[in-house]
Amino acid sequence: MIWFILGFKNLIRRPTRTVLTVLGVAIAIAVLYSLFEFQQGYQSRLKGELGALGAHVMVVPKGCPYEAATIALHGGKWPRYMDESLLDKVKANPGVAEAAGVIMDAVFPPGGQSVIMLGIDEDYMKLRPAWKLRGSWFTSDSSIILGPSVAEDSKLEPGDLWTLPEKNETLRVSAVLGRTNTQDDGFVFMPRRTLQRISGLEGKLVLILIKAMKVDQTDALVASLKADEVDMNVFPLSELLGTISALMASTRVFVSAIILIAIILGGVGVLNTVLMAVFERTREIGMMKAMGGSRSDMFKLVWAETMLTTLLGGLVGVGLAVVSSRLVEAIIRGMIPYAPKGSLIGFSLPTMLFCIGLSLLLGLLAGFYPAFRAASIKPIEAIKTE
Amino acid sequence: MDRDQETKGSRDRVSDLSLGTREPLRCSTGAAEANPAVVARGLTRVYRRGAETIRALKGIDLDIQCGEFVGVVGHSGAGKTTFLNLAGLMDRPTEGRLTVLGHDVGKRGAGFDALRRKNIGFVFQEFYLMPTLTAVENVLLPTMWGRGNGEGRMSNVELKGSKHRAEELLNLVGLGQRMTHKPSELSGGEMQRVAVARALVNSPRLLLADEPTGNLDTLTRDGIFNLLLALNRDSGLTVIVATHDLSLESRFTRVIRLEDGEVKNG
Ligand SMILES: Nc1ncnc2c1ncn2[C@@H]1O[C@H](COP(=O)(O)OP(=O)(O)OP(=O)(O)O)[C@@H](O)[C@H]1O
Ligand SMILES: [Mg+2]
Repeated sequence: MIWFILGFKNLIRRPTRTVLTVLGVAIAIAVLYSLFEFQQGYQSRLKGELGALGAHVMVVPKGCPYEAATIALHGGKWPRYMDESLLDKVKANPGVAEAAGVIMDAVFPPGGQSVIMLGIDEDYMKLRPAWKLRGSWFTSDSSIILGPSVAEDSKLEPGDLWTLPEKNETLRVSAVLGRTNTQDDGFVFMPRRTLQRISGLEGKLVLILIKAMKVDQTDALVASLKADEVDMNVFPLSELLGTISALMASTRVFVSAIILIAIILGGVGVLNTVLMAVFERTREIGMMKAMGGSRSDMFKLVWAETMLTTLLGGLVGVGLAVVSSRLVEAIIRGMIPYAPKGSLIGFSLPTMLFCIGLSLLLGLLAGFYPAFRAASIKPIEAIKTE
Repeated sequence: MDRDQETKGSRDRVSDLSLGTREPLRCSTGAAEANPAVVARGLTRVYRRGAETIRALKGIDLDIQCGEFVGVVGHSGAGKTTFLNLAGLMDRPTEGRLTVLGHDVGKRGAGFDALRRKNIGFVFQEFYLMPTLTAVENVLLPTMWGRGNGEGRMSNVELKGSKHRAEELLNLVGLGQRMTHKPSELSGGEMQRVAVARALVNSPRLLLADEPTGNLDTLTRDGIFNLLLALNRDSGLTVIVATHDLSLESRFTRVIRLEDGEVKNG
C-alpha cells in the first residue's frame, strides 16, 4: 500500500507532467478503444447489412454473366431462359437458405415509358426483408404490386386497375411498395405464373436469387452450385461482397498496426517520464533506502507509480473515446470507402475492460526499467552532499 | 528564550521515552558496560575513480562503546562521512574488520538491510524529508516498508502503535504542533527535528548523525545538539555525530579526531 500512496503523492507533485503523460496514454487507449469498437461494430453492421441485402448469389442461364447481371439489376429483355426445375435443385443445396425464381419481361410502348415486369412468388419477399407494402400481397392471379416510382408516374393506388400496354391485360393493384431506393422501385411485380402466361414463357425462369446460409461462405456456395449444374452461370450478386471481405481483412491489418504504434508510443512516453522522475528523485530514493527501504521497496514504488499513471490514462482514454465516439466515427467514415449505416462505436464493457487491462499491462512493461533503475540506486552515492 | 524553552521541554520528555512497552534504545540489553557498538580494526576504504584511487580511510582502529556520545571531528575530506557510512551499514569496507552491534561487516554480501532498518537511525546535514509527506508521515516512513526476511506484515494494532509512536516522537522533539505540516512549511531546525524523530521511529540502537547542524544557525544548532545529547543521556542511546564544528567538541563524551583518513587522538 505504501508504494501506491507514495506513488500517488508523487503524481500530484508534478501535476502538469502527470497530466501530459496520462493524456499520452489516454490518447493511445482512446484510439485503441475507438478502433477496436469500430472494427467490431463495422463487422456486425456489415453482416447485418448483407443480411438485409437479401440475395447473395444469382443464378442465370449460360451467357455473359455480367451482361446478364446488368440486365437483371436494371431490367430489360432477357436473351435466354432456364428451366423452372432448376429452382428445386438449387433449393436442395445445403448452403442455400432461400432461393427465389424470377421471370422478367419488359414492354416498350412507342412514345411511352417502358415497363419492366418481374414475375415473383413469396420466396422473393423472403429475400427482401426491408420491403414494406402499402396494401396486401397478391390476392389473385391478376394482382400486381407497383414499385413506388411506377405508382407515382401512373398515379395509381391499391385497388386501382392497371392496363399493361401492348398486351390486352388488365390487372388490379394490390399494393404499392414503400420506397427502397433500389431498382425494385421501378418494377411492376406480379405472380410468376401470370407473367409466364402473358409472356408465353411457361415453365421458364430468367434468374434465381439465392440467400446463402452463411454470408462468409458465399464463395463456397458459388463453387458448389457450379459443380451441381454446368448449364448455369452462378456468381455472387455483387462484387460488393468480395470487395467488402477484402476491405474487412485489410482494415484488420491496418487497425492492428495503428493500435500497435499508438501503444508503443504511449508506452515509450510513460517510460521516458518515469525514468526522468527516477533520475530527478535519485536523492530521495537513496534517502528512502537509507531509511530502511529495500531494493524491492524502491522497485515497487516506481512500478506502482507507473501503473497508476497508465491506469489513469486507460480510464481517461476510455472515457474520452466514449465521449468523442460520434466525432471519431465521422472521421473514420470519411477515410474508408464503404461503411455501413448506423452507429459503429458503442459502449461495450468487455472492450473497456480489455483497454483498461491493457493500460495496466503497459504500466507493468514501461515501469520495469525505471523501477529497476530506482532499485539500483546506491544510498551513499545518492545522498552525498555536494 | 523560545527555543531554549522548547529544548528544555523536549529534554524533560526524553526520559518518558524510555518507551514503556518498547525495548529501550540501549545498544545492548546486557548489563555489562563494556559493550562495543562499533569496533574497527585496520578499517580501510578506498574509492576508485578510473585510474585515480582515494584512500578515504587508511586502516583505522577504534572502539565505540554502547551508550557513548561520540563526536567524529576533522577537516573537510578527512573521512568522517566515509566512516559513518561504514558504521551505518550503507557501505562496505575495502579492507580491515568492522563489527557493528555484534555483526561482522564484510567486504561484500547482502543481508544488512534489515539489520540497518531495525537498529540504526540516520540524520543527515540535508534533512532529506519527503516533500510530499507531512511531518508525522515522514516520521512513519521507515516503519512502512514491506518487511522482508520473515518480519511479516504489520498488523493494524502495530500500525496504530507506530502512528502513536511517531506522534510521541514529534512531541519529544518539540513539534507537537507541527504534525501535519509539510517540510516546505517547516523551518530548517524543525525539519531536522522531524529527521531526528524519523531516525528514532524504529527504536534504533545506534544513531548516526552526519553534520546534523551544518545547515542551521547557532541557536537552532544548539537545540538539535541538545536533543541528541538528551537522547543519549536519558535513554542511553549510542550516538555518533560527525561534525567540523569545533565549538561542539567539548560537549561530546568522547571525540574521535580524523585527519586525512587516519585517527589522530591523544
Ligand atoms: N564516492 C566517492 N568517490 C571517490 N572519492 C570519494 C567518494 N566519497 C568520498 N570521497 C573522497 O574521500 C575522502 C573522504 O571523504 P569524506 O566524505 O569521508 O570526508 P568528510 O570528512 O565527510 O568531509 P566533509 O567534512 O567535507 O563532509 C575525500 O577526499 C573525498 O573526496
Ligand atoms: Mg562529510
